[in-house]
Formats: sequence, C-alpha cells, structure tokens
Amino acid sequence: MSYLYNLPNTTSGLDAIVIDTFSVFPFMSSLILLFVYLTVFIGGITRQLIKSGTADYSAWALIAGMATLLPALIFSISAGFIQLDWLIIVVAMNILGAIWFFLDKKSSEI
Amino acid sequence: MGSQIQLTISVTMIVLFSIAIFGFAIEFANDNEAIMNVGSDTTAASVYNLQKDNSSQFSTESEDTYTSILESTIGEGSDTIPSAAPFAPSTRNLISSTKNIITLPIQSIFGGWGSPFGIFFTALLSIITFMFGLYLWKTLRGNP
Repeated sequence: MSYLYNLPNTTSGLDAIVIDTFSVFPFMSSLILLFVYLTVFIGGITRQLIKSGTADYSAWALIAGMATLLPALIFSISAGFIQLDWLIIVVAMNILGAIWFFLDKKSSEI
Repeated sequence: MGSQIQLTISVTMIVLFSIAIFGFAIEFANDNEAIMNVGSDTTAASVYNLQKDNSSQFSTESEDTYTSILESTIGEGSDTIPSAAPFAPSTRNLISSTKNIITLPIQSIFGGWGSPFGIFFTALLSIITFMFGLYLWKTLRGNP
C-alpha cells in the first residue's frame, strides 16, 4: 500500500510521531494554537452572553491569548514543533489583547 | 475613557503586562533549555530591553516629579502652577513605552510601520498622546 508521505518511525516514541507529523504539515502547530485561541475566545464570549446577556470581549481576548501562550511555550521546548516567528506572534497577540483590555476598562475595574 | 488617572494607569498596566509576559516567556525558555527562545528574536529582545530601560526611567522620573509636586507653588493672582512639570513622566515615558510595545506586534504580525496597516497604530498612538495633552490641560486649568 502506498502512502502520500513517509510513515513515522513508531518505535522511537510518541514524540517522534508528532514531530514527523508536524514536519509533513508545518502549519499543524499554528492550527492547534489557533484552535485553543478561538475555543477560549468564542466559547467564553458565548457562555457569558448566555449567562449575563453581555460579553467582555477584551477580557476574553486577553484570556485566550494567555491560554495560547502556554501550549506555545511547551511547543518551544523541543525542535520541530513551532517556529520562532509563531512564538513571537503569540506573544504579540497577548500584548495586543492587553492593550485592548486595559484601554477598554475603567480605572475602577483594573 | 474617563480621566487622566485612568489613562495613565491603563498605559502603565500595559507596560507592566508586556514586561511580565516577556519575562515569563524568556525565563521559561531558560529554565527548560528550550530550543526556541523569545529572547533570541532580535525585535523581541530589543523591545524587552527598551521596556526595561523605560520602566526604570519612569520610576526615577516619578520620584523627581513627586518632589516637584511638593515644591510647586501657585503665584499670587494665578489659578494654577506655572508649568506642567509634575506630569512629565506620564507624558514622556509612558508614550515612548507604548510605542515600544506596539513595535513588536506591528513588526511580527503586520510587517512594520510602513505596512498598509501601520497607519492604524500610528493613529492609535496619536490619539493616546493627544488624550494625555488634553487631560494635562484640563487638570492644569480646570473645567471652563
């Protein structure tokens, strides 16, 4: 049976399978980070809208950014998971979220 | 938007948050001997160092400003102090800190100040600067 790509060497451990998958499809780690970001962002806003009728968009953007930073940092430990550019972009998204959040809040809310 | 205190605290919190995120990411990489380190990116490292410099400058200027507030006098027949010196750190250091912070997203995501989206951040910085100026004027002169 022929495959579209070389099968990973499954005898060398689970991380080798993941790294091989990521090397075949380099955008995979970015998509995982995007999934985490959008799940927290859209999920949080939706739940808050259902519960209270209003949503704190800037706060959820900041929380989603921080939730994305954690897997991004874990990806950065080993080679082959994430490019440095994407790590910087995640940090930059955090900073943009913080700018939005703090300029959006009243001084009594910070 | 409410007051000068609110705007100053907001921008200060943005500066502190960016330093905290950078510090956490760099120390995480150092502790775990990570292959990818935020500090090894030239733009990120320079932004982090500029932020540290700006923050230490901010704390020095805050002390000087506090002294200048204590020593300020209002002349006879005048409603206000002669200069806006007590507001110096909030207008100088915080605006340059904000510009430094915005440099990283605009370089890494939008492709630099000359990019088509660069005008958005230029306008955002301009309105923050403008608001600071208006608030200072309002604080010095009071409501008309």
